Amino acid sequence: MGRPVSAAPVLSAAETGDSPVRHALRRLSVYLRRNSIYYSFWALITLAYVAAFVAFPMLVGWSIAGAMDPELPSEDLQMRFLALLAVAVARGLLRFFSRMLVFTAAREVEYEMRNDLFAHLQRLPQSFYFDWRTGDLMSRCVNDLNAVRLMLGPGLLSIVQTPVLFLGVLAAMFVLDPVLATLVLLPYPLFIVIARVFGTALYSRSLAVQVGLADLSNRVQEVVSGISVVKAYSMEKEQASRFQETNEELYRRALRLVLINGAMPTITGLLPAVAMWVVLIVGGSSISKGEMGVAEFFTFAMYIWDLTFPTFIMGWVVALVQRGSAAMQRIDEVLSVEPSIRDHSELESVESLRGEIEFRGLSFRYHADDFEPALKDLHLRVPAGSSLGVVGGVGSGKTTLASVIPRLYEVEDGQVFLDGFDINRLPLKILRSSISMVPQDSFLFSTRLADNIAYGLPEDAPAEQVREAAEMAQLAKDIHELPEGFETLVGERGVMLSGGQRQRAALARALALRPSILILDDTLSAVDAETEAAIQSGLEEVFEGRTVVVVASRVSTVRDCDQIVVLEEGRIAEIGGHEELVAAGGLYSRLASEQAAAERRRQIESDLGGSRESGEGGQAS
Amino acid sequence: MSDLFYEEEALGKAYDTRLLVLLWRYVSPYRWQVAVTLLMVLPIFLVELAPAWIIKTGLDHAFQPVQTGEDLSAAASWVFDPPLGLSTLAWLAFLYLLVALIGMGLQFAHMVLMAVTGQSAMRDVRRAVFDKIQELHLGFFDGYPVGRLVTRATNDVENVAEMFTAGVVALISDVFKMVGFAVVLFYINPKLALATFAAIPFLAVAAVIFRLKVREAFRAVRVRIARINAHIQETISGMKVVQLFTREARNMREFDRMNADHRDAWNQSIRYDALLFAVVETVSGVTIAVIIWVGTGLVEAGVLYQFIDYMRRFLRPLQDLSAKYSVMQSSMASSERIFQLLHTDIAIEDPDWGAELPAPVQRLGSVEFEGVWFAYQGEDWVLRDLSFKVEPGQRVAFVGATGAGKTTVINLLSRFYEVTRGRVLVDGVDVRNIPQGELRARVATVLQDVFLFSGTVSDNILLGREDIGSAEVERAARAVRAHEFIERLPQGYETELRERGSNLSAGQRQLLSFARALAHDAEILVLDEATSSIDSETEAMIQQGIHALMQGRTAIAIAHRLSTIRDVDRIYVLHHGELVESGSHEELIALGGSYRRLYSLQAELELAQVEAPAG
Repeated sequence: MGRPVSAAPVLSAAETGDSPVRHALRRLSVYLRRNSIYYSFWALITLAYVAAFVAFPMLVGWSIAGAMDPELPSEDLQMRFLALLAVAVARGLLRFFSRMLVFTAAREVEYEMRNDLFAHLQRLPQSFYFDWRTGDLMSRCVNDLNAVRLMLGPGLLSIVQTPVLFLGVLAAMFVLDPVLATLVLLPYPLFIVIARVFGTALYSRSLAVQVGLADLSNRVQEVVSGISVVKAYSMEKEQASRFQETNEELYRRALRLVLINGAMPTITGLLPAVAMWVVLIVGGSSISKGEMGVAEFFTFAMYIWDLTFPTFIMGWVVALVQRGSAAMQRIDEVLSVEPSIRDHSELESVESLRGEIEFRGLSFRYHADDFEPALKDLHLRVPAGSSLGVVGGVGSGKTTLASVIPRLYEVEDGQVFLDGFDINRLPLKILRSSISMVPQDSFLFSTRLADNIAYGLPEDAPAEQVREAAEMAQLAKDIHELPEGFETLVGERGVMLSGGQRQRAALARALALRPSILILDDTLSAVDAETEAAIQSGLEEVFEGRTVVVVASRVSTVRDCDQIVVLEEGRIAEIGGHEELVAAGGLYSRLASEQAAAERRRQIESDLGGSRESGEGGQAS
Repeated sequence: MSDLFYEEEALGKAYDTRLLVLLWRYVSPYRWQVAVTLLMVLPIFLVELAPAWIIKTGLDHAFQPVQTGEDLSAAASWVFDPPLGLSTLAWLAFLYLLVALIGMGLQFAHMVLMAVTGQSAMRDVRRAVFDKIQELHLGFFDGYPVGRLVTRATNDVENVAEMFTAGVVALISDVFKMVGFAVVLFYINPKLALATFAAIPFLAVAAVIFRLKVREAFRAVRVRIARINAHIQETISGMKVVQLFTREARNMREFDRMNADHRDAWNQSIRYDALLFAVVETVSGVTIAVIIWVGTGLVEAGVLYQFIDYMRRFLRPLQDLSAKYSVMQSSMASSERIFQLLHTDIAIEDPDWGAELPAPVQRLGSVEFEGVWFAYQGEDWVLRDLSFKVEPGQRVAFVGATGAGKTTVINLLSRFYEVTRGRVLVDGVDVRNIPQGELRARVATVLQDVFLFSGTVSDNILLGREDIGSAEVERAARAVRAHEFIERLPQGYETELRERGSNLSAGQRQLLSFARALAHDAEILVLDEATSSIDSETEAMIQQGIHALMQGRTAIAIAHRLSTIRDVDRIYVLHHGELVESGSHEELIALGGSYRRLYSLQAELELAQVEAPAG
């Protein structure tokens, strides 16, 4: 908590001209440097540990030699044993601190990286989320981060410590017997060759497993999300076979990884065996020639023993490092995506906005050359405090038009202006907090209803504000019927509420802010006509003094707007007031009459039941 | 999300025989591999004993400057007698290398066998989880978040497999080896063995304390990581709202708090883990000192060597105890959750007497509800004693206010839910007696909620049916007026659709779903007309498509569109789950009830529509 949230270092591969792995590791090194305090202490402890590690077999030999020497005074022998015990204890203690430091540092890096990932995800625009699947992002935030942490914990510990151990042991052995030392350590450099050969395979195979796992997550995610269609169209068999394909593929990839994962430590395990074999032959014959004592034999054997575990672990660590760098690369991919919507380098200094909106030749397409432009050369001015209605056919660009105002999507410079400022030059925070938008999908968080309505308010906002907003959105009386009122947990995406309740909660959330600009994107589609009418009349008061953009499928929703535009294939087909447009007899008037028909039919529909109770006297219209 | 926080809390045991029994079901197809894996522990153990034995022989006999030939043959077994006139040293060196190679081979084979078994079982469990997900009735999904089901099929399954490899098998082999080394040491020299194991009680105490402490720490870690991941997932899903309401900074503060809590919990467990490592290492060092102190003079140098070697091998499994413990604990938690899911009642099952079904000749498309009552829960009746019959080829519409039970009629017909009382019959057969797959192949449903699968536009119309040709796909798309917009997509019918369908508008998605239903050409069409998302312009456009859709088959529409109602053969008016009015268009007009009022209004409006463009 104490540490300030650090921004992800922005490094793009293009700038540095690095390979992706190198780029990823360069980013990793930034995190390591940030925690250099842990690592410097760890370096000191490691040196001390290596000293104890090297001294121990020497002392073992010394003690054995002493114990076998009947002429040695017993105080001397005791002193040797005490030294042996002391080093044994010191070695254990140093091991404790060494592990503690490096693992704690790994956790610290994991913590920072997770924070950075989260912060970065929050900065990335909607266009990013169109291209990246949720399952994939989650897999990077969970599995890959874990793999990186393992690389930095046991991985780094072993990779740094083991070579130093070897150097220390080499030096000690040379002092004892240079020839034997050379022969014993001869097989170890083979490790580097083994690691190289296996390393490449390990890397590509573990990457393949990660990708396979992500594919599998996506399969499950898709089927669960679309379960009603799966069932309605009996797609179970088809989906099961698609899943099984992915599943088998993952199985095959995992097996390929396992093979190499198992081969590596097995082969590295052979190195100490060969070393011991050398000691057996050379040491054995030296002993028989009387050139070497049994104690010295023990010292050498002890060194090889002590090196066995670190060497064996190194085999496993190579796998960890390979997997970790593959994972780091995947994390780096996310962190390297430049947030395409962010504050401009030359910001206008604006404290608040009145709310005048202007489009000057706005054109917009979702993907570079892929699709038809969603908006084409739009010119429009919405004076501060006035209201704009947007209607149009399916895919005519209504939602897109609404979404560019708070910069949910990237627009080019010089196309959208607020109070005369290019929106790309306005501080994002000022821009978005001046605008309150109710998006079409009315997403709610799984927290309490009150938290959802207060979502954009400061933490210390009075509960009164939440209640007022709920009232304006005609949600208040539903709240009384909910089991725990405002305290009700609404569940994932608000599943505990009906579609209409969700929309009204989303509306309340926007209204609570009292912004200069209010954007309603087909907000009340799931709300029945009666409730809509009630909301509309309540909204008139809210609209007062604000710029309001209302996107709607129903003409009735926009009829009172000061200005109405009709979009057709991304262009403005008609523009004017309600009366004016109806009189014009174009697209709008057609929409209006059809809509009126539908509206009144719905009215009758809801009266149908009523007619039974109140007899035939119930009037239809 | 909130119960996701707590779902991990109750689970903290590192072993649970009940779960092992359940796991066995998935491991038992591979029981031979398991048996071999376990049996291999014995030769592996023997191969581990051998090197020290060879060196001991050398130290005590062969390397002595003064050779005492008869001693060697008496003390060592025939194995150590060099054949073919080799020197003793050369023979021992040969044996040593041989044993090392055999050991390597055994280790590798053991590893691979264990991993293959684990991976196979893992694949089977994943499959079982997925099949279960597809079997479960729709109501289940209301209360089970998507992300949690994904976790079940991925991470949880991995954990369970680890319980098998790193858990059960490793545990058995560790215990076997530790007992083995202890027995051998006592056999060689009981007195020295006693001194060697003097420190074991300390280790045991350390291990017990460790177990208690680390259990709490690991539990805290898991609860907190679950919370973090749920939070990330939810934030990604609701990113638009996060950004619109400039909640990033506060969100970040909250996230940082969770993240730091998680790190702190880990640091606790790291401390215990490092402590255990240090204790094992210290005990090992001290014990070596004890062996030398007690052993010199008591035994020969070679025996000392054996003691030190075996002693170290005895201690090795204790070093990564913490890793194993952690693996076991999370595996148990994962398998608990997986088995809970696998044992969920699927509520809607296929009849197991499918063979006795009437022949498919009778597939005409009649639908009948016989005194159907239905409540989603308890006595909150959504349908009350609903009876109606739709003849083959007849087109009917349901009319009524929101909550009147219209959608429930559809859900019951496709058997997404089970009737509480009464019967639903398709072609005279109770839907409970028709396999769900067959029933739903006969009933094509257009749901309000349009879901697109990843894949091309044409994949999304076909939905896995291979017997539908591309010409039919296009014909269906043309009939519902989806063809026009599909053609405008960059690759037409082959355009890939993205997860969030950024490339299609809500209305276009609905047109696609019409094309779906039409292409599938079922006897019975069920249409839950969307009230929203489609503007009136598009509504008019797809009207013809709907007519095409309903032509020549039994059609049941929850109708919101005027022309849909007008053209059907029979209209049912529902109110609070009861049928209040029904009949053909003419009959209802003659009845002079609600429908007549609807009709007169419609006439009036159509008049207005004709006038409007002119005016």
